[in-house]
Amino acid sequence: MARLPVNDMRTAVSDVVHAGELVVDRVFHRYVVAGRPTEVLRDVSFRIAPGAVACVVGPSGCGKSTLLGLAAGLLRPSSGNVSWDGASVRIGRNPHLGMAFQQPGLFPWMSVRQNVAIGLRTRGQSRSDAWRIADEFLDTVGLTEFKDAYPSHLSGGMAQRVGIARALALRPRLLLLDEPFAAVDAFTRLKLQQEFKTLLKLNRPTVLFVTHDVPEAIALGDVIVVMSQRPASVQRILPVAREERDRASPAYARKLAETLECLGVTSDIGDQETQ
Amino acid sequence: MKRSVHLVAKRVLLPLVAHRVLLPLVGVACVLAAWEATLIVYRLPAIVLPSPWSVAATLAELAGTAAFWRDVGVSLYEFIAGYTLGVVLGVAIGMLIGESRHFRMAATPVVELLRFIVPFAWIPLTILWFGTSYTGKILLVAYAVFFVMVVSTARAVIHVEPTLSRVGTMLGMGPWRLAWQVHLRAAAPMLASAARAAAAIGWIAVVAAEYIGASAGLGLMITNAATSLATPVVIAGMIAIGIVGAGVSACIGLLSRAWLDYR
Repeated sequence: MARLPVNDMRTAVSDVVHAGELVVDRVFHRYVVAGRPTEVLRDVSFRIAPGAVACVVGPSGCGKSTLLGLAAGLLRPSSGNVSWDGASVRIGRNPHLGMAFQQPGLFPWMSVRQNVAIGLRTRGQSRSDAWRIADEFLDTVGLTEFKDAYPSHLSGGMAQRVGIARALALRPRLLLLDEPFAAVDAFTRLKLQQEFKTLLKLNRPTVLFVTHDVPEAIALGDVIVVMSQRPASVQRILPVAREERDRASPAYARKLAETLECLGVTSDIGDQETQ
Repeated sequence: MKRSVHLVAKRVLLPLVAHRVLLPLVGVACVLAAWEATLIVYRLPAIVLPSPWSVAATLAELAGTAAFWRDVGVSLYEFIAGYTLGVVLGVAIGMLIGESRHFRMAATPVVELLRFIVPFAWIPLTILWFGTSYTGKILLVAYAVFFVMVVSTARAVIHVEPTLSRVGTMLGMGPWRLAWQVHLRAAAPMLASAARAAAAIGWIAVVAAEYIGASAGLGLMITNAATSLATPVVIAGMIAIGIVGAGVSACIGLLSRAWLDYR
């Protein structure tokens, strides 16, 4: 049987470690909210094979963003372990990493182009290289004519595209995306999804992609990680086959229904987008 | 053609003149009228309250003397030296307080206590320690400015949008770069308005210190004039203080606008 891009850790815990593999191993995470400890993640385990795209779907507020923060080394799990390349993820700087945030978090004092270039500069690229690469990626997200604008002049969707360009321009080995297309209009979203797939082929990063949009997860993911309500654990891990991405096919409809069912949504609205 | 010129005059020039020139003049005229009215109603002698016109004449006369410009120069020198020192130290310490929890714990009681000891309470000590020299005044201004800047900087840095810090870390910035390139820059709008408020307080501190003990400066000029009952000189000096202070504030506003051009 072919090895799935993502395995449930409960069935294969201490497998051989691959370079470029992200492993989430029995992770628990608690926050203190208004003086009360709140459990966000409860025993979350999965792994993403090198170069695979895992889309995480789940009810809003279930801790998907927390999961990304853990993978990015921005948070430390309360217990359990997140590892990359076979070593625990360090808190702080991680040069293998590129991430697009839900709120894009552009630096308001920098032009769009500087915002995309700053990470390349920080990671040691020369200014001319950084600018050239920034221009390239701004072109891919269709913002070339806005490269000298400041973030305060951009719409929400445009700002989010700059955030995506900034993450992609780093050409990371691990790409983390937190609902990157959420604020983008439907047409641009479809276009970006297609371009995103092409871009991924360039250097095949391992991708953890959080979305609430199930059709998007089917279109982009090699595998869908379905999370439960908070405290969230992994409900199901669904591999996506190539033919299931064709939105006109019955296979797509079945996959959509299956995923929605895992999320606790009845399948008779299965041909509509969730939310 | 002629009509369009007419329209430009009506739609652009007239409102501009009205807003930038006419309205400010109305404000000044109101104050002058109240001043003049007080004189008439209470029949005050010139030694108590001279007329605006004689004060204006005195100010013009003063502006022709080297001594006046020396006093302005001394006050400005004390102010600029103290202000620069206070802003630099205040932002630096404020950054440390904002960035390091340990430093914040250690510094907060000291800062909270000292900032309520108003600069003027220090004047007797500065005279005792530094006499009537410039040093005492410079330190006094620095002190006044320092606390405004420390508190605002720390608060601004603590409240920087957390996403920006996460983005900085994700992009590969270490703690120093994050502090310098992200936090300080994100705090800029708050720092700019604090710097303007600090300028007003610093300028007040200079003049107040000079009132009490100085060998030169606008404050001393006014106290000297008051002891010889030269009331027009006193008021002219006060107006000079106001004008220089407003000028300083405007300069700082222009500088900060250049820094905040992205908005």
